[in-house]
Amino acid sequence: MVHFTVDQIREVMDKKKNIRNMSVIAHVDHGKSTLTDSLVSKAGIIASQKAGETRFTDTRKDEQERCITIKSTAISLFYELDEKDMEFVPNDGKEGPNERGFLINLIDSPGHVDFSSEVTAALRVTDGALVVVDCVSGVCVQTETVLRQAISERIKPVLFMNKMDRALLELQLEKEDLYQNFARTVENVNVIVATYADEDGPMGNIMVSPEKGTVGFGSGLHGWAFTLKQFGELYSNKFKIDLHKMMKRLWGDQFFNGKKWQKTGGEGFMRGFNKFVLDPIYQVFTAIMNFKKDETTKLLEKLEVKLTHEEKGLEGKPLLKVAMRKWLPAGEALLQMICTHLPSPVTAQKYRMELLYEGPHDDEAALGIKNCDASAPLMMYVSKMVPTTDKGRFYAFGRVFSGKVGTGQKVRIMGPNFIPGKKEDLYVKPIQRTILMMGRYIEPIEDVPCGNIVGLVGVDQFLVKTGTLTTFQDAHNLRVMKFSVSPVVRVAVEPKNPSELPKLVEGLKRLAKSDPMVQCIIEESGEHIVAGAGELHLEICLKDLEEDHAGIPIKKSDPVVSYRETVEEQSEITCLSKSPNKHNRLFMRAQPLTEGIAEDIDRGDITPRDDAKARARKLADEYGWDVGEARKIWCFGPDTNGPNMLVDCTKGVQYLSEIKDSVVAGFQWASKEGVLCEENMRAVRFDIHDVTLHADAIHRGGGQIIPTARRCLYACQLTAKPRILEPIYQVEIQCPQDSTGGIYSCMNKRRGHVTEENQIIGTPQVVVKAYLPVMESFGFTADLRSQTGGKAFPQCVFDHWKILPGDPFEEGSMPGVVVTNTRKRKGLNEGVPPLDKYLDKM
Amino acid sequence: MAVAFSSDSSEVINRSLGISSPSRTSPDSVEALYEISRCVEWVKIRGFHKVALQFPDCLLVDATEVASKMEKKTGAKVYILGDTSYGSCCVDEVAAQHVNADCIIHYGQSCLSPTSHLPVLYVFCCRPVDVEHCVQSFRDLIPDQHTRVILMSDVTYSASINDISTRLSQEYTHLVTSRLNIPDSKLDTESSTEMSEHTTDSTPTQENTLKQDSQVICRFGRTFCLQADTELDSYSIFYIGEESLTLTNLMMAYNRCTFYSYNPEERNCRKETLNVNKALMKRYYMVEKAKEANVVGIVAGTLGVSDYLTVINNLKEMIKKAGKKSYTFVMGKLNVPKLANFMEIDVFVLVACSENTLIDSSEFYRPVVTPFEMELACNSAREWTGEYITDFRELLPGAPSHVPMSEGTGEDETDVSLISGGMRRVGLREEEAAGSTAVVKRDDVLTVAESNSGASFLQSLSCQGLEQKLGETEVTTAVEGRKGIAAGYSHEPGAGGDEGRD
Repeated sequence: MVHFTVDQIREVMDKKKNIRNMSVIAHVDHGKSTLTDSLVSKAGIIASQKAGETRFTDTRKDEQERCITIKSTAISLFYELDEKDMEFVPNDGKEGPNERGFLINLIDSPGHVDFSSEVTAALRVTDGALVVVDCVSGVCVQTETVLRQAISERIKPVLFMNKMDRALLELQLEKEDLYQNFARTVENVNVIVATYADEDGPMGNIMVSPEKGTVGFGSGLHGWAFTLKQFGELYSNKFKIDLHKMMKRLWGDQFFNGKKWQKTGGEGFMRGFNKFVLDPIYQVFTAIMNFKKDETTKLLEKLEVKLTHEEKGLEGKPLLKVAMRKWLPAGEALLQMICTHLPSPVTAQKYRMELLYEGPHDDEAALGIKNCDASAPLMMYVSKMVPTTDKGRFYAFGRVFSGKVGTGQKVRIMGPNFIPGKKEDLYVKPIQRTILMMGRYIEPIEDVPCGNIVGLVGVDQFLVKTGTLTTFQDAHNLRVMKFSVSPVVRVAVEPKNPSELPKLVEGLKRLAKSDPMVQCIIEESGEHIVAGAGELHLEICLKDLEEDHAGIPIKKSDPVVSYRETVEEQSEITCLSKSPNKHNRLFMRAQPLTEGIAEDIDRGDITPRDDAKARARKLADEYGWDVGEARKIWCFGPDTNGPNMLVDCTKGVQYLSEIKDSVVAGFQWASKEGVLCEENMRAVRFDIHDVTLHADAIHRGGGQIIPTARRCLYACQLTAKPRILEPIYQVEIQCPQDSTGGIYSCMNKRRGHVTEENQIIGTPQVVVKAYLPVMESFGFTADLRSQTGGKAFPQCVFDHWKILPGDPFEEGSMPGVVVTNTRKRKGLNEGVPPLDKYLDKM
Repeated sequence: MAVAFSSDSSEVINRSLGISSPSRTSPDSVEALYEISRCVEWVKIRGFHKVALQFPDCLLVDATEVASKMEKKTGAKVYILGDTSYGSCCVDEVAAQHVNADCIIHYGQSCLSPTSHLPVLYVFCCRPVDVEHCVQSFRDLIPDQHTRVILMSDVTYSASINDISTRLSQEYTHLVTSRLNIPDSKLDTESSTEMSEHTTDSTPTQENTLKQDSQVICRFGRTFCLQADTELDSYSIFYIGEESLTLTNLMMAYNRCTFYSYNPEERNCRKETLNVNKALMKRYYMVEKAKEANVVGIVAGTLGVSDYLTVINNLKEMIKKAGKKSYTFVMGKLNVPKLANFMEIDVFVLVACSENTLIDSSEFYRPVVTPFEMELACNSAREWTGEYITDFRELLPGAPSHVPMSEGTGEDETDVSLISGGMRRVGLREEEAAGSTAVVKRDDVLTVAESNSGASFLQSLSCQGLEQKLGETEVTTAVEGRKGIAAGYSHEPGAGGDEGRD
C-alpha cells in the first residue's frame, strides 16, 4: 500500500505520460477481482488515515455474498519502476528517464454477461485492458465479447493467464500440455484481435505475445505471477545473452539440448519455455507438495527466496503460496507489464480522438483531446453514475480527455440527445465538487487535469446515465457508448401498496441512473417496466429498487420478452388507403428489408445521417438495391433511426414533397406500434408506389395524410405475411463431458439448439454453444443445474432476432399466443384488427 | 357531361346508409314521455317567449311532434336545437343564443353540468324500470345485508330510484341513495326540480337525522350522504342504467368502490369487470405524455358548462408556468383528422363536461388528456394518488380539490423521463422567465438558435411551402387529368356509372 496525501496524488496527476488508465476484463469466474486484490495490496493508494482498512473493490454486500462483481469499481495504484526497467517504457509513456513513479487508475469490471454494460462503461474511460483468462478453460464467450469491445474502443490489451495453480495441482498437466494450453489461448486471443483490428491500424500491432512481455502467467489466488521478462533477466545474465533475444528463446518452437538452440525438437532437445520457465516452477511445486523438506530448502535457497522463521514451519499448500509469492510476486510482474506495455493517455488519445469525438476533427475540443492538453478547453465524458451515501444522489464518474475540471467551474452539461446549436439536453451549471474515487472512499480534490478519472458532485441532476461536459461552447458530444447487450428481458413492477406509486416512480428514476444498461419505462398500458440484459441483471436491479431506490415493497410480474413485428414476403397486393375526406389516396407495399440491413442499422453501419448518395451506393453494392430507390429513402423508423425504412418509389407525383412530413409521421407511428400487437416493427421496408392528392393544399394536410399513412402501412403489413420476431440468446455452457446429456435434454425442452460442442483439450471439460429463445430462458439456469448436478454454468447473451415459426393469425400457434397475450397485457382489443379496417377499395 | 364534376344525383338518393333510424314514439305517449304539461307550466309561469328545445340525436324524430304541441299550448315561439356541437348531454347555450331564446328545455340524457347564462329545464324522458326485478337482482348480487351500498342511477331511470330505494332500505341497513341535484341556472329551483323535491319528501326523517354527523358528497349533479364515521372507499355502488359515459365517469371518479350495474333494458345485473385500475394506469401514462410535451393544444369541448373560460385561462397560465407553450382551439366535435392537422402540438387538453372529457385517444396522432391530467403534469404540488377528477370545476381555486401551483425554485429543475429515458426540464426556463419582450444582454454561452415554438417546428419540416424550382422542372405538354369525384374517379374500376371511359 502506498500512503499519499491528496496533494501528492494531485501532483502525480499532472505527469500525464506517467498515467495508465486500465480496466481488468475477463469471463466470469476467471479471477479478476482476486487478481485486482493482489495489485491493490501491492500498490493501492489510500489516504493515510484510511490505511489499515481493506477490501477495496467489494463495495456491495451482495457482491461479497454471491462472489461475483456487479458494479465496476475504480481504484488508483502508484508504482515505481526500477531504473533498469525504465528503458523498456516507450518515450511517450514516461515524462523522463528519472520519472519512475506511475499512477495507475484501475477499474475492476464484472465478468458476468448480464453486466457487460459495466464493462463498456469501464472501457470508455480507460486506454488499456488487462485481459484475464483462466488458463484451463481458455478463451470463453465473455472474453471474446469484452475483448472485441475493447478493440473497437481502441483499447490496447495485455493478457494474463490465470489459475496456473489449478493446472498444476488439480489437473496435473504435463509441461508440454500446459505450454500447448498457453499457446492455444494466446493464439485464440490473437485471432480475435486480428479479426477486429488491423496490424497497420492506428494502434499499431496490438497482438499479444509472451516473448514481448505482453502476456503474464500466474495465479491470482496464490499471488504469484511472471512474464517472460522476469525469467529472461535471470537467464540473460547467466547465458550472457541479450535480454530480448533471451525472451524470444523462451517462447514458441525454440528447443535446447543443453548446448545449442534449434527450431525443431528432437532427441535430447527440450522446449525453451518448458525447460527454463516451467521446469523450475514444477520443481518447486513437486518438492513442496510432496513434502520433501530438504529439496525444498535447497531449491528456495537457489531461487534466493528468503522465508521468515514462522514461514519455515509451514508445509504443503500454505508453504507453496508463500514461497511462490516471494519468488514471483504477482504485483511486481503485472505492474511492470502494465507500466511498460499499456499506453499513457498521451499515446492513446492521439488515436482515440477520432472515435470519441463527434464534431469536426480539427476544432479546439478535438485538438485538446488529441494532444491531451491540460490548457485546452475541458472535454470530459461521464460514463456512469455511482450512488452516494446521500439517498437519490449520484457521483458522475468519468474521464477528463482535455483541459481540467475543477470545483466551482461552470460547464456545459450535454446529454446524449444534445445537438450543437440547440438547447435540448443542454444545461450550463457549475460543478459543486470534484472528487477522487478510490474504491468505496472518496476524497475531495481541487481540480483534475486531462488523462485522469474523476467523480463529480452536482452533475447527476442533469444527466441520466452518461454525457459530455465541456467549457467549449461549440463542442459536440463525445460519442455515446455502444453496448454489447440489449435489455430484452422485462418485468412489470407495481407497489404493493397502490398509494406508494410516487415512491416507486421516484425509485425507478434513480434506478435508471444507477445502472448503465437498465431501462425503466412506462408503457402505454400504464405499466412500469424494468428491462435488463438477463435474469440475473434484472434480479439485482429489482433488489436495488426495492431496498435502496424506492424503499417500498414491490410486486413484480413474471418476466416478459419484448417482441418485434416483421413481414415475411412482399405484400400480395398494392394497398390503397383513402384519406378521411376521400380526396387523397396512398398506394404502398411492404416487403422484408434485405437480410443484414437491419443488423447494419443496429450497429450503426447504416444510419439516417449518412450521406444519401454514399448510403445508396452501399445498399446497391452490398445488398443489390436499385440505386434510384436507394437514394429515395425517406426515413428510418421507429424514432427516426430504427431498423425499418420508408422508400419513395413513385414517379412524378405532384405535391409529393408537401406530404412527406405527414407520411413520415405516420410511418414513425406505425413502425413503433405494429398492427399485430403494437410492438416495434423490425426489418420491414415500405414502398410508396403511387399517391393521388387533392389539388388544394388544405385538403391534403397532416390531418388527412397522417392517419391515412398509418392505415395504409398497417394494410401493407397485414398483406405481407406478418410475423413475430423473438429474441434469441447465445448460450455458452462449460461443463464436464459426462453432463452434456443434461444440456441436450434441457435444450430440447426449451426449443434451443446446440450449434457447437468443443472439448477443452487436456481437460475433461467441454464447451457447448447453443441458441436459446429468450422466452424459454426463464429458469433455465436453475433447470440446467439440476439436470447436470450443478456442474454446468450457462452464460446467455442476446444474439439476434428470429422469426417465431407459425402464423400469428392461426389460433393456438406460438405467435398467435404471443399476439393474444401481448394484446391482453396492453389492454388492447382482442384479436388483430381485420384488414378491411385499413384497406380501402377503389 | 355534368358527370365530370358530380356523380349521378339519383345515386346519392338511392344510396343506403348504414344507420338505423330510431322509431318514433307513438303520439299518445309523447305527452307523458316528454312531460309536456310540466314544460308548458314552466314556460308559462316564467313568461318565456322564445323557447329552445334541445334534443339528442336519438330523440330528434319526435322533435316536431313535441315542438308543435309546445307551441300550441304555450303560445311561445319554439325552436328545435339538434346536432349539438359538443356532447348532446350538455346544454347548448350558444345554439340557443343564435335564436335569442330566453330559455332552453333539454331533453334526454344529461350530464347535469351547470350552465352559465340561460334558464334550463331538464326533461329526462324517463324510461320505466321493472322495480321488482331490479330489487330481486340486487338481493341476488349483494346477499349480505350489512354491505354498505350507494344506489345511483342514470338520469333516465331516476324516476324509479325512489321505489327501489324504499324497498331495499328496509332490508339493507347501510343503503345510501344518491339524489339528482338538478343544476339551478339562475332560477329558483322550485318548479324545475320537481323530482328532487319529491324525493326528499319521501325520506325526510332519514335525511334529517343523518345530516348532522354525516358527510354530504355532491358531485356530477348527484348528492348523497354517507353515514357517520364511514369512508367512501368502504362502499359499493349499485348503478341503474346501461353502460354509458355516465357510468364510466362515475367509475373513474369513485375508483376505489366496487361497481354493480343493473341494465333495465336487458334486465340483467352484473359486477362491473372493467378494470378501473387498468383504465387509471392508462390515464397515468397520459399524464407522463403530458409532462413530456412542449407544446400543448387546449381544445374547447364545451361552450355551455359554466366556468369553462376560467378553466381555459387557468390552464394557459399553468402551462406557461410549466415552461410549455399553449394554443387554444375551438373545433366542435373532435375527430382524428382535425387534431392531426396540428403536427406541432405534442398533447391536447380537452375542456369538456365530466362525461365527455375522457377520450380514448389511441387512434389519435397525439394524446388527448383532461384538465386534471394536465395539471398533474404541470403542477408538481399535485401528486398522483389514485384519486381521479373528471369535473374540471373541482380544480378551480376555491373548489375542494384545488391545489395551488407550486412555485419553482427559479433553478432549472430536472426529471428523468420514463417515456424516452432521457432528461427533461420541469418548470420555466431561466431565459423565458425574463420575459420574451424584454431586451436581454446576449450571453454567448446561452444563446442558441432555436426557441420552443411553432417556428422551430416549421424549420424542421422538409417542405416549408411553395418552392419555385425555377428551371428544375422539365417542360411537358399538358395531359388530361382525372375525371369524377373523390369517392371514385371515372378511370378507376368500380367507379359509379361511367365505366365506358376506360
